[in-house]
Amino acid sequence: MVLVSAVRDYLSRMLQDISGMKVLILDSHTVSTVSVAYSQSELLQKEVFLVELVDSISKSRESMSHLKAVYFLAPTSENIQYLRRHLVAPRFGEYHLFFSNILKDTQIHILADSDEHEVVQQLQEFYADFVATDPYHFTLNVPSNHMYMLPAVVDHSNLQCFCDRVVDGIAAVFLALKRRPVIRYQRTSDIAKRIAQETAKLMYQQESGLFDFRRTEISPLLLVIDRRDDPVTPLLNQWTYQAMVHELIGIQDNKVDLQNIGKFPKDQQEVVLSSEQDAFFKKNMYENFGDIGMNIKQLVDEFQQISKSNQNIQTIEDMAKFVDNYPEYRKMHGNVSKHVALVTEMSKLVEERKLMVVSQTEQELACNGGQVAAFEAVTNLLNNESVSDIDRLRLVMLYALRYEKESPVQLMQLFNKLSSKSRKYKPGLVQFLLKQAGVDKRTGDLFGNRDFLNIARNMARGLKGVENVYTQHQPLLFQTMESISKGRLRDVDYPFVGNHFQQGRPQDVVIFIVGGTTYEESRCVALQNAMNTGIRFILGGSVILNSKRFLKDLEEAQRLALRTEGKTYPINLEAKIYSSSHPPSDKNRREEPIFLLTKPDIRRS
Amino acid sequence: MATRNRTLVYRKYRDALKSVRAPTSSSASSSGAGGGPVIELVSTSLLNPNRNYAPLSTEDPVCTEKSDASSRGALTVGLPPAWVDLSEEVAANVQRARVKMAELTKAHAKALMPSFGDGKEDQRLIESLTQEITNLIRKSEKRLQRLSAAGPSEDSNVRKNVQSVALLSGAFSIIQVIPKSSANRSLATDLQTLSMDLRKKQSTYLKRLRQQTEGQDGDDLEMNLNGSTSRMDGDDLDDMMFNERQMAKIKKNEAFTAEREREIQQASEDLFVVVESVNELAQIMKDLSVLVIDQGTIVDRIDYNIQNVASTVDEGLKQLQKKEGRGRGVMIHWGMDAPEPV
Repeated sequence: MVLVSAVRDYLSRMLQDISGMKVLILDSHTVSTVSVAYSQSELLQKEVFLVELVDSISKSRESMSHLKAVYFLAPTSENIQYLRRHLVAPRFGEYHLFFSNILKDTQIHILADSDEHEVVQQLQEFYADFVATDPYHFTLNVPSNHMYMLPAVVDHSNLQCFCDRVVDGIAAVFLALKRRPVIRYQRTSDIAKRIAQETAKLMYQQESGLFDFRRTEISPLLLVIDRRDDPVTPLLNQWTYQAMVHELIGIQDNKVDLQNIGKFPKDQQEVVLSSEQDAFFKKNMYENFGDIGMNIKQLVDEFQQISKSNQNIQTIEDMAKFVDNYPEYRKMHGNVSKHVALVTEMSKLVEERKLMVVSQTEQELACNGGQVAAFEAVTNLLNNESVSDIDRLRLVMLYALRYEKESPVQLMQLFNKLSSKSRKYKPGLVQFLLKQAGVDKRTGDLFGNRDFLNIARNMARGLKGVENVYTQHQPLLFQTMESISKGRLRDVDYPFVGNHFQQGRPQDVVIFIVGGTTYEESRCVALQNAMNTGIRFILGGSVILNSKRFLKDLEEAQRLALRTEGKTYPINLEAKIYSSSHPPSDKNRREEPIFLLTKPDIRRS
Repeated sequence: MATRNRTLVYRKYRDALKSVRAPTSSSASSSGAGGGPVIELVSTSLLNPNRNYAPLSTEDPVCTEKSDASSRGALTVGLPPAWVDLSEEVAANVQRARVKMAELTKAHAKALMPSFGDGKEDQRLIESLTQEITNLIRKSEKRLQRLSAAGPSEDSNVRKNVQSVALLSGAFSIIQVIPKSSANRSLATDLQTLSMDLRKKQSTYLKRLRQQTEGQDGDDLEMNLNGSTSRMDGDDLDDMMFNERQMAKIKKNEAFTAEREREIQQASEDLFVVVESVNELAQIMKDLSVLVIDQGTIVDRIDYNIQNVASTVDEGLKQLQKKEGRGRGVMIHWGMDAPEPV
């Protein structure tokens, strides 16, 4: 709640002091930030009658000097260039500039230089540089997320960009909360360490004045961890409403795009799933699939009752009542059809991909022991023709993560079977995953089989039986949060940055997962917060993952890693460069060979 | 919620850089204006916080004979397009309607209080107020329709490639349509809430009025019934003596009944009038609901609207270009001196 309301407050403050008709100009980052927190009708109430993107504005030359422009942009060099062009030829009467993060002095110089007409009335920094999708969950929507898996030698500059973006995003979160945290990071992850240290440098040295807030007795805690410490959670299939929709269909900035899935009426092609605006969704977003079905049926029944009574209009009074209730009725209608469409679609997908069977095995792999049974189950499913390629890949990956060290022969067998069955599978991907996130690389006790206490706990759980086989998995994050609540997060595994220190338990904790969070983890955090233990957890990540996205990141990282090692150099490219040293014959006189030769950066990593 | 104001630093840089730059001529400043009448103002700030939708033409142009240095501060201000006046009118009407609503509430309360008079003036006042408010809402609705009628037709013109006149104004109107429809929506929402308010007030008033009149009638009728039955039980011996008294009593009852009937008649007439206005409002509501955005749906998302605007503008641009191509072709073919498309 606190993050969403922070973004809303920033926006209200931006707009309230400026009277008259306004234009709001955003860029591709801030559009996401603003869209999840503010609605179009609220903007209209604030007299904002036009919203544009900063890069598309150049197409139209129309001057609208009766409007006042409010720019809300991220302080990137591209945006500064766009702004320069706009200021040199101003279209609007007044310009009020707001940036979502810290501006550099050089950037202010550039803007001041191009403001010949002196149209800029104010220039401020409003730190809403994150997308607050849920009350205790935010994301940064970093485009090249896969960079976190690669060592610095592969692509130094892009990795630096990634780190800068993450550090700026985390800084913005704390500026919005007006706190300065104590920082801890996961020892075994280089990138987590790097991000933690750079954040500390920013908050305590470079901009220490900006972060110098009223100090409370107990500082909040920022914990930076790596996705690869828990690679199991993004690979699993989900059965709670929000997580399931993201896993099977995909949610982006609280919007679900149904266009490619099936035939839907025009107004249902894209729908909004936001717990702020949809009471039914808020109640059901963490419920499992079976319960959702029942609740939706109840909702549909209620709706049918109301429509029946609406059709029974006898007297003028009834008419009057109908017209009174019509807006609510229409809203309810839209809501019901949206949820019914989503659940129908997901049921269809579950049927097609035989997800009940697949997911049962997945959960067994993730939670319970028994290597022999697991091997058999995975082999059977690999042989099953109706299981899709991506599900096969996931099963083998989960098996590999769990039984990496036991019986390597059987593991090899599974790899071979996978390559033979799935045509699109890139060989070596599972091995790459093991290299990234294998048992040697992980800090946390992912499968509960390192610590004696955990083994005992698992056995007890197995004996007791679980209430739902499909939701028995608990992400590693749950254990981490428990340790923090009890004040027992080990210094050895999660050291403090520099000379930070914290006595006792923090009251505010922000956990940032480099590489992305999942909706299963955000559900875990929300349920933990609902227990009111006195500690408030906020979860954030560079993106919000589902299995497709996680696998894509893996593939992308593998491709880049291999390229550095020079293993995937295409042969025809070599031939072209070879042939360009000879003068091209008249038959194939083309400019391409020369063009290729002038692109040397393909060779250089 | 932390913020940082960099305006001072910015102004410092700007002033420092201004002194370094060569002074620009006054013609440069007038080149930035778009279509429409233009007013040159020599001032650094146009902020006048009291005006909301006021067209800027009412500001006094302050022209001085300062030196060249001041021309750099000159700003050309275009007049806002004519539809702004319309929307300002609608907003003013809505405001007036709100004031009248407050009066109406007071009148309702007064009429419902038990009073010694027959409350006819109260009824009349209520009627007239309701009528005024409905009229205001109707007028605003008509203006609103005019606003949106102008818009979509130009849009469809661009889309259907009709005339070269549309071409010339087409480029102008694509951009104009968008803020217009947004202004429409906000005013429409205001109107809708106002109408709903009015309807709710009316319905509560109706209910209470009915309660009152039924209550009164119920009591009286009961009394009458009791009275007449007691009459029947009378002794026949005193027929002659009681005759006159009976007659008087009967006459009084009749008069009483007649009055009651008249009151019922009046009340049902009032009800009828109010019901009529309710119907009218229902009609207005239906028309307005088309314009209003549903909360929480995809249409209420900012990014969705940006995409739509972008695609509409793109489409419009493509149509313009197509028309341009075709137009030129026509020119060449007939050798006529057609006006250059924009």
